[in-house]
Amino acid sequence: MPRIRVQVDPDLCIGAASCVTIAPETFQLNEENKAWVFDHGQEPEGHTYERWLEVTDEEKENILLAAQSCPTLAILIFNEEGEQLFPEP
Amino acid sequence: MRFLIIGGGVAGTTAAQELRKRDASADITILSEEHHPLYSRVLLPHYITGKIPRERVFLKRDGWYGEQNIDWQAGVVAQHMDAKNKFVGGSDGREYPYDKLLVATGGEVRALSEDLRGVSYLRTLDDADHLLQLLTQQGGMARAGIYGGGFIACEYLNFFAHFQIPTTLAHRGAHFWTRLLLPEAGELIAKHLIKNGVEVHPNSTLEHLEGDKELAGFVTSTGQHAATILGVGIGIEPDFSWLREAGIEVGRGVKANEFLETNAPDVYTAGDIAEFFDPILGRQLQIGNWMNAMSHGRTVAKTMSGERTSVQLVSSYATNALGLEIIFVGDVERAAAQEIYTLGSITQGGITQVFQRGGRVVGAAIIGRNRDRTPITKAIERKQPFSSLDLS
Repeated sequence: MPRIRVQVDPDLCIGAASCVTIAPETFQLNEENKAWVFDHGQEPEGHTYERWLEVTDEEKENILLAAQSCPTLAILIFNEEGEQLFPEP
Repeated sequence: MRFLIIGGGVAGTTAAQELRKRDASADITILSEEHHPLYSRVLLPHYITGKIPRERVFLKRDGWYGEQNIDWQAGVVAQHMDAKNKFVGGSDGREYPYDKLLVATGGEVRALSEDLRGVSYLRTLDDADHLLQLLTQQGGMARAGIYGGGFIACEYLNFFAHFQIPTTLAHRGAHFWTRLLLPEAGELIAKHLIKNGVEVHPNSTLEHLEGDKELAGFVTSTGQHAATILGVGIGIEPDFSWLREAGIEVGRGVKANEFLETNAPDVYTAGDIAEFFDPILGRQLQIGNWMNAMSHGRTVAKTMSGERTSVQLVSSYATNALGLEIIFVGDVERAAAQEIYTLGSITQGGITQVFQRGGRVVGAAIIGRNRDRTPITKAIERKQPFSSLDLS
């Protein structure tokens, strides 16, 4: 299963919630109206704006779709080698 | 198969991308009024306040269209169409034939009847460039006015606060969003703005501008105000004439069913301009936000390529006005609601209005109470009544 790093830039996030709509298992809005990163609906080690996720190929595609749908490009996705998958650098 | 898309914004471009994914050999053409490749309008505020550089607003490169084998006609506006012989006439004098047509033209800003240097609108990247130019040129001499009581006014409030420019705000209604908000919620916003140093003038209709070539002030029905920059946000006004003449049914927007099909065969619509039947909200309405436009683009592409798919989304719009968070979810038109429930108060610093119709929640205006957003969104999706919500 691919391992990816998912990161939300809280400074860019405006709470548009596109990511929450597309990938609710990975993104949920907090009280500041910004998206925490979840691991399959869970928050091991508490709230965070970035974490490593082990996902299926299908889940990875969906998380990428969520990142692509963000109107402020506040979601960054990296692969295991540290290459930025989105936004394309 | 020839797909023709009118409008190069997020609805049209997302549709083009999805159509290409589903059909490698189809002809796909986009007519786009703007010369820029797709960019995020939602990023324009971050660009204006210097949070991101200009190049970061772009979501596609010029070269992307060619790589995807999408014929991108920049700077071309649709001027007329023939729904029987299936072609659209462009402002470049060409006729563009189609098998399936998508109308995703969004909206033009409603403009004032007068224009002076210093009047600013906020819809396009060119508008943002223009505003930045004014701010740079005027520097510490700037005096700001805002005309409007909606989302664009909020953006201008934040810009002028960021640049520390004294600001006077005037709007026609008694408070912000009079069609959506009850007076108490409107008062909460006004009080917050006044507390933050904004001069607020409700019930004020703009009468005329002052100044020779450069703006010096503006006069409303309630007074005269000095201003060297006037940010105008009084709604959008799409051009429907070419569609009407072609027999396309138009109301507030382009009328469509839940599949985004218009009354004309093989003509579809998406995004801000679509007045579509929303199967979750249970009525035909127009929604102008990013999430809605992008989702429409994806959905309509499926339908256009033969997999008839209905819109299924509770979309929302979030902003803040000088730090006060404002979120609208679902259907927030007062006139379309049967009951409106209010939570919170001005003294608590937050008010949520929940809109109910047919015994279930259809929308909410959430001001300074972010925590209400998720439970209310779920209640709308699940078609639950207000009484099922546990919001304190």
